[in-house]
Amino acid sequence: MNSSKANILARLRQHPAPFAHLPAPQTRRVMHPLDDSTDLVGLFCAQAQKLSAQVSLPASPAQAIELILQLIGEDRSVLAWDFPHIPLHGLEDALQQAHIERAPDRSDGVRVGISGVDAALASTGSIVVSAREGRSRAVSLLPALHIAVLTTGQILPHLDAWLAHQQTDLAGFRAVGNHIIITGASRTADIGMELVLGAHGPAQLQMVILP
Amino acid sequence: MDVQSNNFIGLAEIAIEQGTIPQAVSQGTRMANGRRMVAMSAGTEHGEAMRQQAAYAKRYALQHLADLLEEAEERLTENGFTVLWAETAEEARQHVLAIAQRHHITRVAKSKSMVTEEIALNDALIEAQIEVVETDLGEYLLQINNEAPSHIVIPVIHKSKDEVRALMQDKMGMPYIEDASEMVAFARQRMRKTFLEAEMGITGGNFVIAETGSLCLATNEGNGRMVTTLPRVQVSLIGIEKIVATVEDYATLAQVLPRSGTGQNLTVYTNILNGLSVDGGAEHQYLIFVDNGRSRIYADSRYTEALACLRCGACLNTCPVYRSTGGHAYGWVYGGPIGAVVSPLLKGLDQTTPLPNASSLCGSCKQVCPVDIDIPRMLLDLRHDIITQHHGEFLISASMKVWEQVNRSPQLFELGGKMAQLGLQMGADEWVPNPLGDWKAYRDFPGFAPQSFRAQWRKHHKENKHEQQ
Repeated sequence: MNSSKANILARLRQHPAPFAHLPAPQTRRVMHPLDDSTDLVGLFCAQAQKLSAQVSLPASPAQAIELILQLIGEDRSVLAWDFPHIPLHGLEDALQQAHIERAPDRSDGVRVGISGVDAALASTGSIVVSAREGRSRAVSLLPALHIAVLTTGQILPHLDAWLAHQQTDLAGFRAVGNHIIITGASRTADIGMELVLGAHGPAQLQMVILP
Repeated sequence: MDVQSNNFIGLAEIAIEQGTIPQAVSQGTRMANGRRMVAMSAGTEHGEAMRQQAAYAKRYALQHLADLLEEAEERLTENGFTVLWAETAEEARQHVLAIAQRHHITRVAKSKSMVTEEIALNDALIEAQIEVVETDLGEYLLQINNEAPSHIVIPVIHKSKDEVRALMQDKMGMPYIEDASEMVAFARQRMRKTFLEAEMGITGGNFVIAETGSLCLATNEGNGRMVTTLPRVQVSLIGIEKIVATVEDYATLAQVLPRSGTGQNLTVYTNILNGLSVDGGAEHQYLIFVDNGRSRIYADSRYTEALACLRCGACLNTCPVYRSTGGHAYGWVYGGPIGAVVSPLLKGLDQTTPLPNASSLCGSCKQVCPVDIDIPRMLLDLRHDIITQHHGEFLISASMKVWEQVNRSPQLFELGGKMAQLGLQMGADEWVPNPLGDWKAYRDFPGFAPQSFRAQWRKHHKENKHEQQ
């Protein structure tokens, strides 16, 4: 054990532990309790929109692909997760047919990034993006527009619910190098407390929600 | 950063006279405070219960701090972090410089971190010829203007939009731009290159979860993600008190922090880093546990709870003193009510004597604190320490001694009252040197009642006796 560590720990252990009579709360609460009857999809959409994220609920995968192609517009390359990780069958073919390439990971200057999500959180309008092989974290970070494709079944009530689920498999939780809970588009209020979207991360966040 | 806290009064006067500082700070803090109240359900039973749940989570972690630090080190190491320990600011700086040398680093991108301000890391990097760029927009603006942050969460709160624009025109060559979003776009483009070229990213940290070895950051702009994603080496410095025991405790604290700080339900990027991974993050991750006086604070049971602080800034936003003076008046890294406690504890009362008195003890800081830290009580204890450790002015200590003697003796007390009354009648408050200092500069000393309480009591008692007879 190095000496600094030993010295610090020794000082912390020198006296009896603080807060000897610390009463634990009788029941554990979640920050944003929801009824079982809550419409999670509706709440998720409302909360995300409050944070200036765009939400669309296309009726079919074909409509979803059409929307994504519209958002890509004239661009000829996008950043994207490996397509099996995006729950939209046919997207890869559609991009190919439109001559839109997947740019190498971490390419700067690419305007659009397309990812799936690991979960979505209704009470805060958040998406959880866990980085794994083929699911680069740069996709939801470098482009100005992040398109997140998710299914209604991925929407959980809140952060407490997602973390409670992680606690059932802590080894799995730890195996992921980076979990990001994204709540709205990148923002700053550093200029005279005025809210501005698109500080360093994406200025625009588009959720595409499939049944 | 040199400690200038002993000049609190002078610095506060300069800030207040400038006018623009209190105006910008007051506006910003009121806005943040209003949002906090909504987000924390302040004043409701649920809001209070969540606050107590958060308070418990932090105190539990402090209670088991040594064990949790060891557990965290083990888990972090399993996750691929190299964990280092620093007893002092100097040791922490040396760790960072050694890592930089090992990996041949010339360019560093940094995300906002109070502990790196505390240990003056940037100065050490610059001295070692390493380029370091702050990437939080507010911190960047301050860095290029050679200024220190004035708020824990909103570093440039003391500047109005016009002042920021003038700064960007002057230091970044920005043309006149009216719109704030276009100003941000200009900065975004300019700073993107920094992220892409940086070889090392430096961050602080909001929490380390002991049971999983996770480093947790809460950011809004995305620079924290850039800094932990793009450079090949990542170094995070974190105070030893930032440990939480479990994922469940983190769930509470990760939500209480942004709600208290900025009134957001969650920050835009709630970032959990579990070490090396295959998806293109850093190739080397270091985590440095920084003590730098914390274990000393821990050992004094009166002040241990100061280490529960989440650095949310809620106490700054509600404090009438901070709102008037801004953060620079406090003369060191940490301002506001928690700064008035932490700065004396970290730097010593001899360098920070006025700070425990930079409070009206109105109690608002305790009321808004998401982990219920009793800041007013600690300020009083520090005031006590100022007297007992003789940091105070001689005149105050001497007059307190006289006061003590007079109040112990009924005869002296009565005599003192009579003399003060007589003196006041003769206009002594005009020609005797003013012992009340600035208090008297803005107020007239109230006149005494024609008869003292004791005299009235004696008279009343005598009359009663007379009537009964």
